[in-house]
Amino acid sequence: MAPDARGPAAHARPAEAGVTATVAVERVVLLDGSVALGKDVLGGKAWGIVRMRRLGLPVPGAFVLPVTECHRYHENGRQLDDETWQAVLEGLRRLEQETGRRLGDPAAPLLVSVRSGAPVSMPGMMDTVLNLGMTDEVERTLAQVSGDPDFACDTHTRFCSQFGRIVLGADVDAPGPGSDAERTRAEIRGDCGRDVPRDPLEQLRQAISAVFDSWRSRRAVAYRKHWGISEEGGTAVTVQAMVFGNLGEGSGTGVFFTRDPLTGAAEPYGEWLPGGQGEDVVSGTHAVQTLAHLAAQLPDVHAELLSIGRTLEREHGDVQDIEFTVERGRLFLLQARAAKRSPAAAVRTAVDFAEAGAVDRATALRRVTPEQVSSVLQPRLAGGADSAEVLSRAEPACPGVASGVVVTDSEAAAAAAAEGRDVVLVRPTTSPEDITGMIAARAVVTELGGSTSHAAVVTRALGRPCVVGAGSGATAGWSGREVTVDATKGVVYAGRLPTEAVRVEDDPSLSRLLEWAREASPVQVVEEPEDGTRDLDAAGVALAADEAPDRSRIVEAIAGNRSVRGSILACPAGADAVLDSGVRTVVTCPGQPPLVLLLHLLHADARRREAAA
Amino acid sequence: MSDLQLLALHGLAVRSAGSPKAVAVLLGREPDEVQQALEAEVGNGRAVGAKGTFMVTPQGRAWLDEQYPQVFGALREDVDVLAAADRFERVNRDLLALLTDWQSMPAGGERVPNTHTDADYDRAILDRLGDLHDRAAKVLDRLSSAEPRLEHYVQRLDTAYDKALAGETDFVSGVRVDSYHVVWHQMHEDLLRMLGRQRQE
Repeated sequence: MAPDARGPAAHARPAEAGVTATVAVERVVLLDGSVALGKDVLGGKAWGIVRMRRLGLPVPGAFVLPVTECHRYHENGRQLDDETWQAVLEGLRRLEQETGRRLGDPAAPLLVSVRSGAPVSMPGMMDTVLNLGMTDEVERTLAQVSGDPDFACDTHTRFCSQFGRIVLGADVDAPGPGSDAERTRAEIRGDCGRDVPRDPLEQLRQAISAVFDSWRSRRAVAYRKHWGISEEGGTAVTVQAMVFGNLGEGSGTGVFFTRDPLTGAAEPYGEWLPGGQGEDVVSGTHAVQTLAHLAAQLPDVHAELLSIGRTLEREHGDVQDIEFTVERGRLFLLQARAAKRSPAAAVRTAVDFAEAGAVDRATALRRVTPEQVSSVLQPRLAGGADSAEVLSRAEPACPGVASGVVVTDSEAAAAAAAEGRDVVLVRPTTSPEDITGMIAARAVVTELGGSTSHAAVVTRALGRPCVVGAGSGATAGWSGREVTVDATKGVVYAGRLPTEAVRVEDDPSLSRLLEWAREASPVQVVEEPEDGTRDLDAAGVALAADEAPDRSRIVEAIAGNRSVRGSILACPAGADAVLDSGVRTVVTCPGQPPLVLLLHLLHADARRREAAA
Repeated sequence: MSDLQLLALHGLAVRSAGSPKAVAVLLGREPDEVQQALEAEVGNGRAVGAKGTFMVTPQGRAWLDEQYPQVFGALREDVDVLAAADRFERVNRDLLALLTDWQSMPAGGERVPNTHTDADYDRAILDRLGDLHDRAAKVLDRLSSAEPRLEHYVQRLDTAYDKALAGETDFVSGVRVDSYHVVWHQMHEDLLRMLGRQRQE
């Protein structure tokens, strides 16, 4: 018996849907904005679509098999029962009416995406399968309509490959140039012994089943166990009509940020790819244009997009990153979410939204991490670097600027740093035995490797400025020289060049944030030591090279003190320890910006409140 | 000279410096026996030790380089092992790309540091790490059937992935914990030394 006490009948839509649709409402819900169900029943994806529809935004038509269906599916021995399948067909019929296309109809093909949507998203759930409904006939139509047979073939091939990997679990490489659907189908059959169905309805049925199956994947089960999420829930399945940015005139796809994600300036920012399909922008294989081109080409669409951006910013109180597609002059939103941003943009936008009254100050403070502030406050090269001798231009791997004497051996670098000297570690490549040297160095330069080399990964984890790929032999003769590494630009200069610090008081956003942080912090942060301040660095409680900081050890060292200081306090464990031990004042160490300490304390405080709630 | 002495020195070389406990983790042995082996190597002039931390001496490195072709000669000629090691390099490239995506994220055509404030972004990468972990398991099965000692790396990778899944984000690429990347990096170095190969970057 299903342990879910709510039962599917409790979620029936109002009677306006009519008697025949009542069955469909229970088993399948059409996402038309009149839906009154919550995220717990619809899953995150479908609920997001409903919210956008309710705001009157243009989102491609979709229906959902609610979470309760996942339960029924597993109760039935991993089978979709007839009643549910009939409801899916009914949902499909409504999508076909809305779009004027039909699944598998070569004359006017409807393609759909199928994706999982648990109320809480988690690893191990099935990914999205795009372009369901692709067949040989549909490929031919698409080739005609788009005037681009290669594109039609590519879409079909990618569908087969994706279906094979995600639904059938085949381990095949992504299709390369020159592959086609037949060859991809054969590879999949060879790997897993199963075929990508040629019948669009069978594709749909298998994809839906695969989503429900993924609820019980090993990884999803492990994740739920770790996070205390009930096994009795389930995932919903969202089926949505695909729209095409490659259907001739007035079509295309793009990404729109409501503010500049690099500077935080309140200016629209984005990319537009005329005649492109969603994944083309993401793949970076096509030359994209700016939004100004969209404005010139399709002014109404551009205006509508900006207006949608304002609506979504108001709704969410944050910068939005919107994926959109234009199909023959008609705008569709594919996804909207909080935009990823640079550290500088994070500071500026958090303050701007709070000052505009869109969020409160506590929210603004929560949106900025101590790491982002550290990054913004990192010293930069002062003017005059232009005339310095450039030793090498290579790939920046971890941003920042630092100077020191070049040492080419990790043990020697660690020894020199222990004596208080600034060193720059220069290696052909790095191996695990270089980690101590990398921790000790102010900056790291390697001759080989790109931005994903071991050296790059380790220095980013450490926050050490790093330049990689200077070229084999390019660093010969550097040993013992003083150099300056500008790892933001990827340049190594001869000599020790002057740097300038970014001052909080020179930046209005940082100043406001500091003011708010001081007001909100449960602990004072001051720069002048008081009498009796406990100094953790002097007491030998410092960050270790190869050990995570231990909160209880710090608590032990500071308990009973009113005022403390120490380099180890600028980390989550340090902040937790300060709050745990009842310390009233933290005194900054050299190079420890008060705002960074304050944000650590505020975030630690927020974590405790959350845990208590 | 016991096998463990060579192994302990090899393990120390993979890490450069470390405590007997850290080397024992690498080898899947008991810290006490590793401590004894390392102390014996100090006596042979192939390691030095201070405050519980040991380091390989230059003589120790030279000696290891001499020993490797004999000790691991069979592995170096095993076509299955070599094929698996090639496959490992491919997975390695994917892992490094994945870690880069973990540490930095795209924002308006550029990459910015990932400060782990976007839970969906992080979960999607953890999911990819899970896929890669499954792929790696197949390769490591083949390698550890020839060299059973490598199974300890698999267990450590399992643990690191499990912790990352449980929200301890430092266990993906952190350097101060036994993170996925730290374990992987050591395993890679271990493999390169055994097979007498050079790091390709």
